[in-house]
Amino acid sequence: MSLLAIGLAFAASALLIAAAGKNPLVAYGALLQGSLGSADRIAVALNKATPYLLTGVGVALCFRARIINIGGEGQIALGGLAATWVALRFPQAPAVVLPALALGAGALAGALWAGLAAAIRLRRGVHEVLVTLLLNFVGVLIVSEALQGDLGEVGAGFPQSPLFARAAWLPRLIPNTDLHVGIVLAAATVIVAHVVLWRTPFGFRVRVLGASVPAAAYVGISPARTFLSVMLLAGGLAGAAGAVEVLGVHYRLIEGFATGFGFNAVAIALLAALNPIAVLPAGLFFGFLETGALAMQRAVGVPSPLVAVIQGLTMVFVLSAMGLTAGRERV
Amino acid sequence: MLRMTGISKSFGSVRANRDIELVVPPQRIVGLLGENGSGKTTLMNVLFGMVRPDAGRIEFDGRRLEGHTPREALAAGIGMIHQHFMLVPAMTVTENVMLGWAETGRWLHPAAVAARIREASMAYGLDLDPGSVVASLPLGAQQRVEIIKAILRGARLLVLDEPTSSLSPPEVSGLLDVLRRLRAEGRSVIFISHKLGEILDVCDEVVVLRDGEVTGRAEVAGVSRGDLARMMVGRDVTAPLERVIRQPGHERLVVNELTVRDAGGVMRLRGLSFSVRAGEVLALAGVDGNGQAELADVIAGLARPESGHVFVDGADVTRGGVAARLAAGLAHVPADRATEGLVREMTVAENIALRDFDRPPLRRGLWLDGSAIRARAVERMAEYDIRAGDDESLVATLSGGNQQKIVLARELGRHPKVLLAVQPTRGLDPGATRFVIERVMALREAGAAVLYISTELEEALGVGDRIGVLHAGRLVGLMPRADADVTRIGLMMAGALDEAPGAAALYGTSPE
Repeated sequence: MSLLAIGLAFAASALLIAAAGKNPLVAYGALLQGSLGSADRIAVALNKATPYLLTGVGVALCFRARIINIGGEGQIALGGLAATWVALRFPQAPAVVLPALALGAGALAGALWAGLAAAIRLRRGVHEVLVTLLLNFVGVLIVSEALQGDLGEVGAGFPQSPLFARAAWLPRLIPNTDLHVGIVLAAATVIVAHVVLWRTPFGFRVRVLGASVPAAAYVGISPARTFLSVMLLAGGLAGAAGAVEVLGVHYRLIEGFATGFGFNAVAIALLAALNPIAVLPAGLFFGFLETGALAMQRAVGVPSPLVAVIQGLTMVFVLSAMGLTAGRERV
Repeated sequence: MLRMTGISKSFGSVRANRDIELVVPPQRIVGLLGENGSGKTTLMNVLFGMVRPDAGRIEFDGRRLEGHTPREALAAGIGMIHQHFMLVPAMTVTENVMLGWAETGRWLHPAAVAARIREASMAYGLDLDPGSVVASLPLGAQQRVEIIKAILRGARLLVLDEPTSSLSPPEVSGLLDVLRRLRAEGRSVIFISHKLGEILDVCDEVVVLRDGEVTGRAEVAGVSRGDLARMMVGRDVTAPLERVIRQPGHERLVVNELTVRDAGGVMRLRGLSFSVRAGEVLALAGVDGNGQAELADVIAGLARPESGHVFVDGADVTRGGVAARLAAGLAHVPADRATEGLVREMTVAENIALRDFDRPPLRRGLWLDGSAIRARAVERMAEYDIRAGDDESLVATLSGGNQQKIVLARELGRHPKVLLAVQPTRGLDPGATRFVIERVMALREAGAAVLYISTELEEALGVGDRIGVLHAGRLVGLMPRADADVTRIGLMMAGALDEAPGAAALYGTSPE
């Protein structure tokens, strides 16, 4: 279903490219070349997909439980901030310990940020769509605030932190490429999430809660406790995604370092039909697509935002197809 | 008036209708009787233009209907009242009547429409206030809104699909009166039901469907209950239950001075006390909305009482949740199997494990034991005759009877000490109803205490060793089965008779 949607999206976008007077086949060739053309390009694409996988799988779990968490942006931002703080605060820590510590701090910060949203939802009854959405702005602004203040690099023209010590960098997976170990971590997380959802009592509770609240009460599942656990989990994954981004790609915190990641993660979760294991291809697809976008712009002169159009159309087709099978899918 | 001949319709390999003939003369109430899945609804959907038949001919008032839409059926004078009402809850009666009605015109004239509603309401004894909001009306009144919609739109043939399934006994008799008035006034009615009593009560003739075929048609005057049941099911399911009479054992479910308020602060249960003993069925009759749902929720651990206690097999579980009840040995068959008792989008196996997955043997350490879950499902499916493709089939694809069997297989399979069954036969056909009741009686034989809450008086009388009547949150009567008298109980249900039970009746006769 998703494959068909992707195909249709590419076909529809081809019409747009043709309408702009360019050859769609040449443009798509450049897109392919730019994302898969060399080991370097593949490394970049895999790095790009890493935060998508981590955040997307958390969103998929949330949506499974009918928790509409769209707070990925803020959770990622704070995860990056916490990781940065640890990386800059303990530069003399050993090279293996420091990234792990910073990653843990990022996950914790993301979880707390999501936990705050969950608490407001559970205590005050404000719908989570509103809370998570609004906390995104707060989270992103806290990062800016920190970069304008103590965490900012003195003398830099742009709001960014100083470069981390080498010890804080995520280890490279393959030497002489940019590929860091994050992708392995993310892929493993996706697999673990899949197993948790389908093979553990916790996953069972998530699925029952998402399917029917009265049934969950009848089973004896506490909606509040499950809500909080799922939110903490998703927030932790998003926070880890933010940490991976600063520790593995930029080696510093930059204002707006993860703009759009949280919302792309929602799109990826939906593209995966909320199935954790399917987040893997969906996240990789987004990563490769965006990596190829710039190459396409350079080579053919097709503006790179066209990729956003392809992503958007894919979502429209996927969601239309979901509407057709609503109520008949297994949860 | 209506003549449907040779109607056939297949869905894939399922032949829902086979060469069906249905004739409705003017001024007649024709019963369409059949179990769930016998093809009644398909036939009516064909009539109403929602499903196109593979073959067959429909004539209405001498005009041929072919390839018509529901709108055209309506314009021709066929009104359909579905099992699930097609009303907007937040709107008033008048607004619902105006909705989608060509005569409403370009400008709304609510006052004029309200006047017509009042007039029709008087003429047919519908007792409707045009200004009331639909959501605030009881189900019986909502159904009357549907009827008035159909009448005002000029329906000369009314089709009612299982119209009594969510009504209380007085509402049912009110509805049957309305149907008689419609007939007297020159209209015809197709009354779809699987309840023999109602068919015999109100219909002039009856057509029986089984497996998509007409298996019998008769004038109601000359037919017996047993005949109808045989035509419908192919075997006799009206035989009285076999019941071993013996002295009940110790108290297994005790409810003491239970008081419950709803979210709006209205008292729903007013100091309710009773007990059920081992090997005994206490059937609680009563019109829906008199505290049954609140009582069930408190006993099941889904709501907290304001005061009072619930004991399951000696353990005070009042403050515990669902888990405490499960541990104490309470099984619960909830009223709403579609959203509460089952998860329709999960598999049969998962639903059989639904309330036991978090304990051994279905849970092993951190993991769900998939093979144990499936093994249990296969075993229970055989034991309870659950007809599904396999244990991985989605529950949503099964018939109502098979869905309820899954609930029973899960809840009774735990060998509970106490069973709380709330309307366990609602919406089931006679065959499935019989199955459910037989299983409940078998559990009673095995020494469990059963609290059986039902709005069907006849069923309560058939199942209960003692019969209690709930009215306005209080137990207004409690009597042994031998003393149960339909008229008296009927009066109690209506709140006209109050016999606050004495201690002996409350707690049953103490074993010598």
